[in-house]
Amino acid sequence: MEMEACARCGECLAWCPVYAQDPRESICSRGKLGSLKRIVTSGLNGEDMKEFLEGLYECSACGQCHIVCPVRINTHELWEQARESLVKAGISQPEEQIKHLTAIRECNNSFAKPQTERGLWAETAWRAGLLKEPVRLWKEYQAPVLYFAGCTASFDPAMQAVAVQSARLLQEAGVDFSILGPDEPCCASKLRRMGDPGFADAAQQRADLFLRSGIGRIIVSCAGCFKGLHSDYAGILPASLEVLHLTEYLDRLIREGNLTPTRNVSMKVTYHDPCHLGRHNQIYREPRNILHAIPGLSLIEMRRHGPFSLCCGMGGGLKLAKPEIQKKMSAARIRQAEETGAEAIVTPCQTCQMGLMTGTEATSSGLKVYHITEMLIRSVCPEADRAHIEKAFTEIETG
Amino acid sequence: MHPRPWILFWFFVICCHLYLDYSLYRRWKGWIRGMKTGFAMSRLKMPVVRIWLYEVFLQRQLFSLSVMRWLIHQCIFWGFISLTFLSLTKFILLLLSRISLDAGLHDFFSWGAGYPFTKLWGDFFGLILFAGCAGALARRFVLRPVETAHDQTDTFLTVYLLLMTLSGFMLESLRMALSPSDLDNYAFIGGIFMPARFGIVAGLGTWHAVTWIFHAFSGAAILAYLPHSKLLHSLLAPLVIALNAAEEEGRKDMYWPKTKQYRPIR
Ligand code: SF4
Ligand code: SF4
Repeated sequence: MEMEACARCGECLAWCPVYAQDPRESICSRGKLGSLKRIVTSGLNGEDMKEFLEGLYECSACGQCHIVCPVRINTHELWEQARESLVKAGISQPEEQIKHLTAIRECNNSFAKPQTERGLWAETAWRAGLLKEPVRLWKEYQAPVLYFAGCTASFDPAMQAVAVQSARLLQEAGVDFSILGPDEPCCASKLRRMGDPGFADAAQQRADLFLRSGIGRIIVSCAGCFKGLHSDYAGILPASLEVLHLTEYLDRLIREGNLTPTRNVSMKVTYHDPCHLGRHNQIYREPRNILHAIPGLSLIEMRRHGPFSLCCGMGGGLKLAKPEIQKKMSAARIRQAEETGAEAIVTPCQTCQMGLMTGTEATSSGLKVYHITEMLIRSVCPEADRAHIEKAFTEIETG
Repeated sequence: MHPRPWILFWFFVICCHLYLDYSLYRRWKGWIRGMKTGFAMSRLKMPVVRIWLYEVFLQRQLFSLSVMRWLIHQCIFWGFISLTFLSLTKFILLLLSRISLDAGLHDFFSWGAGYPFTKLWGDFFGLILFAGCAGALARRFVLRPVETAHDQTDTFLTVYLLLMTLSGFMLESLRMALSPSDLDNYAFIGGIFMPARFGIVAGLGTWHAVTWIFHAFSGAAILAYLPHSKLLHSLLAPLVIALNAAEEEGRKDMYWPKTKQYRPIR
């Protein structure tokens, strides 16, 4: 019904971050909806179908079009649904996305690495003296809280600092938590984003694992994993299982007086709302509360923030399908951040962090890109800042 | 006045209506197949109803984006709805009068004391619709904002509505010229189109019949054209807004006073 409700007003076109880089009708929601309607009614000819498929995958499923659509069409959900339906009909995703999805299906992580390596960051961090105490595995100790690091912070050496800092902050706040380590599954949300028909089963398997393990509260530090566990699993997970994004939890801990940022971090920063956290889950306030709680830190908003935050291009498999477009999108975001005069752009998602770093490279910008944990660590326990972590990890790796 | 082809007209109306019903039924079958969830009445809470009313009738989001676009859309929306309401009411009263169940309302509104009200209503909303269509065309062809759809059917629909409104005014003026009445002053737009002003003094009956045929048949044809045109959104948008308003009741990003400020392409 939503396909036919489009008023062809073009509002989506004016806001679409991909259209801004590649202004073709097939890119914006209006174009995609028109083609979808034709597929259902009369079918598309070869050329038009090719154009439509390009538009369908040249989309970060950021949800900006949904927010500005006067009819409030659930565009990004339609794209995911359309991708899945097409795969079922034998029209598969772009090659790079297929490789990525295969890795998730076969290795249970998007890095195609052995699962045994998943929890190594915690061991290394403990050996390097970056943690107050060792992080325990869930199978050995069922703590009231489970920290879910996600594939990127677990496997990507450039992002493991996020997992270490998250664990350290939880320890500083006195939170009793453990991790699944090698048993932590990929959240599988990327299957949903890219239209893999196996998503429903994969989600059910993960939900069963959480339920079997008796987990009551999950803290997630990646916006993509959060969208997966919190929104995509809605209806599968019982209401008694609380899924929180790290920023929600840290904000709560700060407000309750369990975590106190004391040291001055005199910096001017701007904040990037990840699509999956902001537009898709309405978490706008909590990360900002954290930044405001850090002494000396001043936050300057970008022109587009909150529900209008400009997507960095990392979502929906766009980076895999069209890396050059993602680069342009993140460059555009970095230019907006530079306009504020801030020294750094802060985000609470490691995937966005990677995406924004592509932008600073592309624009040769001097702007720093930080995960929000880095800002908080500098105020709470600077001995675990990114520089220390990277140095310690390199030393341990090189023996 | 020349006789008008009423039988042919009613046959045409029934055919168009049946076609509309069939098209909507076929679509409905497709829509319910694709619907993830039904609309639970339990979700129909006050904030949801409020969101729906604001969005459907006042189009608040459009207002926050552009007052001009809002004005154009409101004119077309209210003009179209009000004229459709008027035609439907007249039609129902006519049918009821045939079986003496209209409580005298048909005569009251057609030539009694309610006649001025009918004339004012028709002319006022006709003018509103005309202004909305003219504004939409001016925006499309003169201002040409980047988001304009290059879909010729949208232009066709706007011109179609504009011509229907114009023919409505002309029809009224021809009727006034053929059988003047003291109450004609209430038709404040129809008066502007009096045929004498355009040098038409002879053959008024033929003009009237031709204009009637154009106006009546094009009005009925809208029923058949509706499922294939942008007009379909006037039926579906309120439904989608209702479904999503319920879904998004908990969301706090429904409305943003600063929307315009953030819009990248102005
Ligand atoms: S904003 Fe919504 S109604 Fe307008 S063209 Fe885009 S999808 Fe259609
Ligand atoms: S989801 Fe984002 S990228 Fe995709 S069409 Fe909508 S605005 Fe553009």
